[in-house]
Amino acid sequence: MKRKKALLLAAIISLCVLTAAPAAQAAAPYEAYTYNYYSDAVALPAPFLPERTVDGPGLGVGDFKQPNDIYVTRDGIVYILDSGNNRIIVLDDNWNVIRIIDGFDNNGTPDTFGNPNGIFVAEDGEIYVADTDKRRVVVLTEGGKLVKIVENPESEVLAENFEFAPLKVTADRADRIFVIARGVYEGIMQFDEKGEFLGYVGTIKVQPSAADRLWRWLATDAQKAQMVLFIPTEFSSLDIDRKGFVYATNIDVGSTETIKRLNPLGQDVIKRFGHYPNVGDIRYRTYGRESGPSKLTDIKVIGDGMYVVLDSNRARVFTYNDEGELLYAFGGRGTQLGVFNTPVAVEWQKDKLLVLDRGKNNIVIFKPTRFGKLVHEATALHYSGNTAAAVERWEEVLRLNSNYDIAYLGIGKSLLMAKKNKEAMEYFKLGMSRKYYSIAFKRYRREVMQEHFGTFMTTAVILIAAFAAFRIIRRVRPGRSAGHEA
Amino acid sequence: MKHDWIKFPLHLIVHPYDGFWDLKFENKGKLRVAMTILLLMVVSTSLMNQFAGFLVNFNDPRYLNTLDDLMFTVLPFFLFCVANWSVTTLMEGEGKFREIVVATGYALLPMILVNLPLTFISRFMTSEETAFYWMLNSFAALWFLYLLFVGNMTIHQYTAAKAVFTLFLTVIAMGIIVFLGALALTISMDMYWFVYDVYRELIFR
Repeated sequence: MKRKKALLLAAIISLCVLTAAPAAQAAAPYEAYTYNYYSDAVALPAPFLPERTVDGPGLGVGDFKQPNDIYVTRDGIVYILDSGNNRIIVLDDNWNVIRIIDGFDNNGTPDTFGNPNGIFVAEDGEIYVADTDKRRVVVLTEGGKLVKIVENPESEVLAENFEFAPLKVTADRADRIFVIARGVYEGIMQFDEKGEFLGYVGTIKVQPSAADRLWRWLATDAQKAQMVLFIPTEFSSLDIDRKGFVYATNIDVGSTETIKRLNPLGQDVIKRFGHYPNVGDIRYRTYGRESGPSKLTDIKVIGDGMYVVLDSNRARVFTYNDEGELLYAFGGRGTQLGVFNTPVAVEWQKDKLLVLDRGKNNIVIFKPTRFGKLVHEATALHYSGNTAAAVERWEEVLRLNSNYDIAYLGIGKSLLMAKKNKEAMEYFKLGMSRKYYSIAFKRYRREVMQEHFGTFMTTAVILIAAFAAFRIIRRVRPGRSAGHEA
Repeated sequence: MKHDWIKFPLHLIVHPYDGFWDLKFENKGKLRVAMTILLLMVVSTSLMNQFAGFLVNFNDPRYLNTLDDLMFTVLPFFLFCVANWSVTTLMEGEGKFREIVVATGYALLPMILVNLPLTFISRFMTSEETAFYWMLNSFAALWFLYLLFVGNMTIHQYTAAKAVFTLFLTVIAMGIIVFLGALALTISMDMYWFVYDVYRELIFR
């Protein structure tokens, strides 16, 4: 009897263990993937899992209404731009409400926001709000007191009846303000610390297709006047890294440069060294639901060269490293926890990923899994040049997922630095990097040549001697070879 | 034996006018040799796809298939021969079908002679040196085309201009044959499914 009980207990325990393990796996309602060398989507273990959602009633501040943006500072302070309620909700890193900013003192008169679209918080704590319907950018102190208002930009390059409707805003350490405004195709508007309009940065080039050009060439002047102008698309979001480089996204169908990193001169300096352009999805349906290229609507620089972009078309999140290689992508549309309705903003809180969903009026908090954490750590270590420590992480990553090309590359680069050229070749082959394979192979070949120089020379001399001997013998005994010729 | 299998083919590829003349009028070309060259071509293509160095081998190893190599070498070969025969028969060419097959087979030889060693050497190349690989590769292809042209000219006793023109027509004829083949295939498939459906209707009655 006792033995029977023990057996039953063991059975129950093993059943629990067996069912518990897949339950944790099934928690992600999406499939994570990355693209390999052949541009095939390769499944990954989920790098992030949804932890919970945060909504207005949960915070005790009432429902959000059409929230448009969110910003998290380096210390983890969260600023939610609750646009429909015209307020900013400030939370600490444990999601406790610190304060709600629903207005400010504008030189003696109380003032409010008008459907603001973008928010940014500088390192010194100043809050920048793109106050769209009131046609201005409002700069507040950490406590919500007015610092300055940027409005009515004046310049020769702006039209007479120009209406300034800022959508997204960011600022660098010198208090220069970068603004994406509605209906402005020339680029990102740049303002100096006093709020004077300086000019545009990061103009998007327009490339009319061959068919467009042919059509235009055939058209009469009257028809041309009726045609749609070839104007570039607007930028959709921007962020700034610690070095003062502005990252921006735009929705330009067919372009391979939808993510830009602008240096202080306004030139695009982002690296596109992956096997395919960093534009979000590279394989997608052409017709039907959720078809067409990714529409990148938000970007967040998360440090160590990595940045996250949000695709509003298929509601997915993409993370790239500094070389422009896709680390992972995940997400999707739906009603479960972890998939989105209308995702509008992505943020990074310490090591967690936040996505603001305007459709569901909530924020989803994603916690990194072991895989996600390892990938981020390894990428960061690799970026800072600590390749030896990165290798340990990459090896761990490969134990979890042996199809992760970037890990092979990371290990290969470290081996190359350690002058282990033969092993490096093997890893570069697995990581499908012909460029680095060639470097490793060149070094290895030189190594072998130097080591076996004597052998090579001896063989060469023997071969030449043998050939010479053969010729001499043939000449000495012409009868035999002449017999063959006939 | 040695003459047929080694000396004559090697002589032909470096002295094509002489070689093809002997092939046609001295009856020196052997069908067996041509078929062996074709087989070697399949082998060398397969080896190249599989074993060329990493820096020059852009094949996806998951989809490498020797049977495909066989099919995509042998079928175009006979497609070309049939198309060429069809065109030249109408254009007063003097070549027989057997001669066309033999000449085309012998013309393939430089591709094997260049590509086989190249496959081996490519494994010891850095990316700067791969330019030589592509150069030699193109060189082999051009040599093959040149032999094809001379072969066509000699076998059918054409002028140079007419040989080029018939080769061009041959390519078009190849396209037509493929099109007709595909058409016949789809129609026969439709007919098969029609009969099959009728049969099913009957047995379910």
